[in-house]
Amino acid sequence: MKKFKKWLLGLLMTIVSGTLLAGCGFPGLSGTSSGTVRIAAQNTTEQQIMAYVIQDMIQHYSNMNTTIINNLGSGTVSFNALKNDQADISSIRFTGTDYSTIMGKKVDRSKIKETDQDVYKAFNDDYDMTYFPTYGFADTYAFMVTKQTAKKYHLKTVSDMKKVAPKLAVGLDQTWLERKGDGYTAFQKLYGYKFGKTYPMQIGLVYDALESGKMDAILGYSTDGRIGSYDLTLLKDDKNFFPPYNASAVANNKALKEHPKLKSILNRLNGKISLKTMQNLNYQVDNNLVEPETVAKQFLEKHNYFEGSDK
Amino acid sequence: MANMNLFEQLVYYYQQNGAYVLSQFMRHFLVSIYGVIFAAIIGIPIGIFIAHHTKLSSVVIAIANVIQTVPSLAMLSIIMIGLGLGVNTVIVTVFLYALLPIIKNTYTGMLNVSDDILDSGKGMGMTRWQILRMVELPLSLSVIMAGLRNALVLAIGITAIGTFVGAGGLGDIIIRGTNATNGGAIILAGALPTALMAIISDTVLAWIEKRADPTQK
Repeated sequence: MKKFKKWLLGLLMTIVSGTLLAGCGFPGLSGTSSGTVRIAAQNTTEQQIMAYVIQDMIQHYSNMNTTIINNLGSGTVSFNALKNDQADISSIRFTGTDYSTIMGKKVDRSKIKETDQDVYKAFNDDYDMTYFPTYGFADTYAFMVTKQTAKKYHLKTVSDMKKVAPKLAVGLDQTWLERKGDGYTAFQKLYGYKFGKTYPMQIGLVYDALESGKMDAILGYSTDGRIGSYDLTLLKDDKNFFPPYNASAVANNKALKEHPKLKSILNRLNGKISLKTMQNLNYQVDNNLVEPETVAKQFLEKHNYFEGSDK
Repeated sequence: MANMNLFEQLVYYYQQNGAYVLSQFMRHFLVSIYGVIFAAIIGIPIGIFIAHHTKLSSVVIAIANVIQTVPSLAMLSIIMIGLGLGVNTVIVTVFLYALLPIIKNTYTGMLNVSDDILDSGKGMGMTRWQILRMVELPLSLSVIMAGLRNALVLAIGITAIGTFVGAGGLGDIIIRGTNATNGGAIILAGALPTALMAIISDTVLAWIEKRADPTQK
């Protein structure tokens, strides 16, 4: 008994002193000590894959501590996390979205290049963040229907839905409904109709809802791997409502100053991920039961961590 | 994937993502443990103190009770306002929830030490510190351990919700499962280790609790 008590006391003391000695951080838990690079990712597959890609790249090229702040609810949340110094890197931001939601301006489709430049400049000047050049793919919202529905109602464009809209049950990204600039309210104004019933849901679930016949149409991401596997029809955005969403990493200038290596590491990913690649990576996660972390690792190992692409 | 049944999918998932699940398991466990250890460092002395000053006990336990009534998701959000996103917020939340079982059990354990034994200690000329160290604590250790055991099981459950403030852990896997096509297997892949962790830590602490009870010898 006595021996056991001593043993117990010893164990407790070791744990407690170990914790206290560590001082600023908890041993074994990344993200608790200062100087850790914190990568913010939203709750979409794409965001999480890219967050792990960035994490693996940083770990491959440096010995910085990294952590991922996962499952953030929307682009605005992850933007605020960066602004309030709760995160250092946002894994994916879209120029089009930031132009309309963060900067509150209206996107002109014919001036995509200028839009990008405006966003880069505004983020640097107003928010002290660096917008990296695009990964090489663009994502946009797109209305999708099944092949049968498209045939039944003769749908090719978003305008075609006008006649049948009151009858349709539509699954939508919950953040899009409340969004200013390129959200549902603005959509109604431009296209001049409303859907019969809207179901706000997690963006990852809309494709299955459509496939299983619970929805007539959905608003999804054009990069999703399930478009191909379910053979969905994308409706053409004939009034150019959805702004271009070039995907980039965004980092806090403060973090870039603190970790000078970060910039060159992130720059290695410039233009390396095409739309096809992203769709394929998404597909592995969404359909093949592979975690974003595993997908990211396999992808980087296949490409040798983009060794030799630094300038 | 569709041609596999749920169990096959689960096995396949673990084959593909074993290292990831293991790292999230460790993370989950550490977050829970750190919260409980801090609660023990603060809670056990408080429990001892209120056992000796019984007038204070109702106030202190009432405060701990009130903390317990706040829904865990609300508590996470409130603490997030102050501490921001990430793992620290979850550790503090776990800490707050673990306080009540630890304080209450320490208090009860200390009160259950019979007055006769305390008197005989006093009669032998023991100082207050000696009575605490050699009589009260050993006799109440098993009850205190039961409190830690409750706290840890509670902590593992709360850490799973920590995924909403971006802390990682097995909750991440569960949430991912709700977003994926045929995510049933992924949800199970996250939920099973969480349950397993709770059961294992409960069993281990139950064993320690039994060993710590001097009357069982």
